[in-house]
Amino acid sequence: MKTFFYDEHLRLGAKIVDFAGWQMPITYESAVKEHLWVRENAGLFDISHMAKIWVEGEKSEAFLNYLATNHVDKLVDGKAQYTVLCDEEGMAVDDVIIYRVTCEKYFVVVNASNRKKDFNHFIKYGKPFDVKITADFEGQAIIALQGPQSEKILSKYMVGLDALGFMGFKELSYQGDSIIVARTGYTGEKGYELYGEEKALLDLWKNILDQDNDVVKPIGLAARDSLRLEMGFALYGHELSDQISPVESLAAWVVKSKEVDFLGKAALGKLKKLENKRSQRAVIFDENAIARPPVDVLINGEKRGVVTSGGFSPTLKRSIAIVMVNGILNESDKVSVLIRNREVTAKVVKLPFIKQL
Amino acid sequence: MHYSDSHEWVKITNSTATVGVSQYAQKELGDIVHIELPKVGVQIKRGQEMAVLESTKAAADVYAPVSGEIAEINTQLQDHPELINESPEDKGWLIRINLGDPTEMESLMDETTYEGFVNK
Repeated sequence: MKTFFYDEHLRLGAKIVDFAGWQMPITYESAVKEHLWVRENAGLFDISHMAKIWVEGEKSEAFLNYLATNHVDKLVDGKAQYTVLCDEEGMAVDDVIIYRVTCEKYFVVVNASNRKKDFNHFIKYGKPFDVKITADFEGQAIIALQGPQSEKILSKYMVGLDALGFMGFKELSYQGDSIIVARTGYTGEKGYELYGEEKALLDLWKNILDQDNDVVKPIGLAARDSLRLEMGFALYGHELSDQISPVESLAAWVVKSKEVDFLGKAALGKLKKLENKRSQRAVIFDENAIARPPVDVLINGEKRGVVTSGGFSPTLKRSIAIVMVNGILNESDKVSVLIRNREVTAKVVKLPFIKQL
Repeated sequence: MHYSDSHEWVKITNSTATVGVSQYAQKELGDIVHIELPKVGVQIKRGQEMAVLESTKAAADVYAPVSGEIAEINTQLQDHPELINESPEDKGWLIRINLGDPTEMESLMDETTYEGFVNK
């Protein structure tokens, strides 16, 4: 599959790869340079492979609060929230962002690889709540503008950005087209995600790259991944999956003890109390060999887990990783991995990685 | 300069072969972030894995295009792996080999042939 931006990516000289069935730009120029550009200036990302699912009806809040581990009931109009959706076993179906338009109208932004699965999941559990569930997969695009310069740049093209707080969103007008602008993102920088008609967003994209190319560059999926890894944001299929529960993951903080029943609640409660429950931590390696998953992790010489994500941190200029181990990993533990049959040692650190500078 | 079909280049000065990876290989690999080089003094055979280039995408083996003894390694690369991207056929050289068998050079491609090979 191709997004509406495919020809534009080619025009910009992108190297294209398959990602979850989508032909996406992995880099335009250099993954490392693009990464640093976002940290210092601003970058544009085509993330149209992700999708929106709309939920409407009187019981929308109750329904989403039943699907989510986080407190959907604490959301207010015009605010978004990160959460994990679990199955009955407490394993992760997906990690998503839920946007509340009103208490009777929400949209949920889901991962590209999970769009069909999530839609079916919503339909399966939606019946008792009598909600209208709509897959908004056609004709829609999503782009992100991320980086310290993002507000200054986007303000040139639309009015009303200054009223947006972190995780806030609003419908704004761009040359007569309505675009949902959200102060959300996956890079750790100040930034926006924009939802709208394909044509309007491609026009905005081209305008920005045309008029502000001294500040804004297009950014590929490789830098998107290293940016999120430096922050310690979970990636579905790596830190979360149908074999990994959010309570064992970096996203454990979005599993709340909610009074009301929710999908996976009982299983999550049991998992949380497990003695040797798995956990995820951040590590920095003592040399720059890259630990690509699924590399085994040794603690004090004994195999105790795996690398879930590993890569080069352009900010730290170091090899970093997220590891998942049985039990707890302490900062005093001696961690190592085998890369090409050689033991490479690592230190356990606190997230985000970029605070380690 | 001569090239192997696994995208290494060789440049002969007297009986020393300087070896690196080609502009084409550098582009295919993407940003190089880590390099593992052999030790000086080691004997290496043509076709043997002699180095590892690790990019943001993947780790790639570099094969010795000629046989001989490792005479020198590019120590600058340890702190500046990006030299391979910026200057693959000059400052980003990997190793120097005391050429064991000069006739091995005959199996390598010249620049024009290599250009045709990568543009196939």
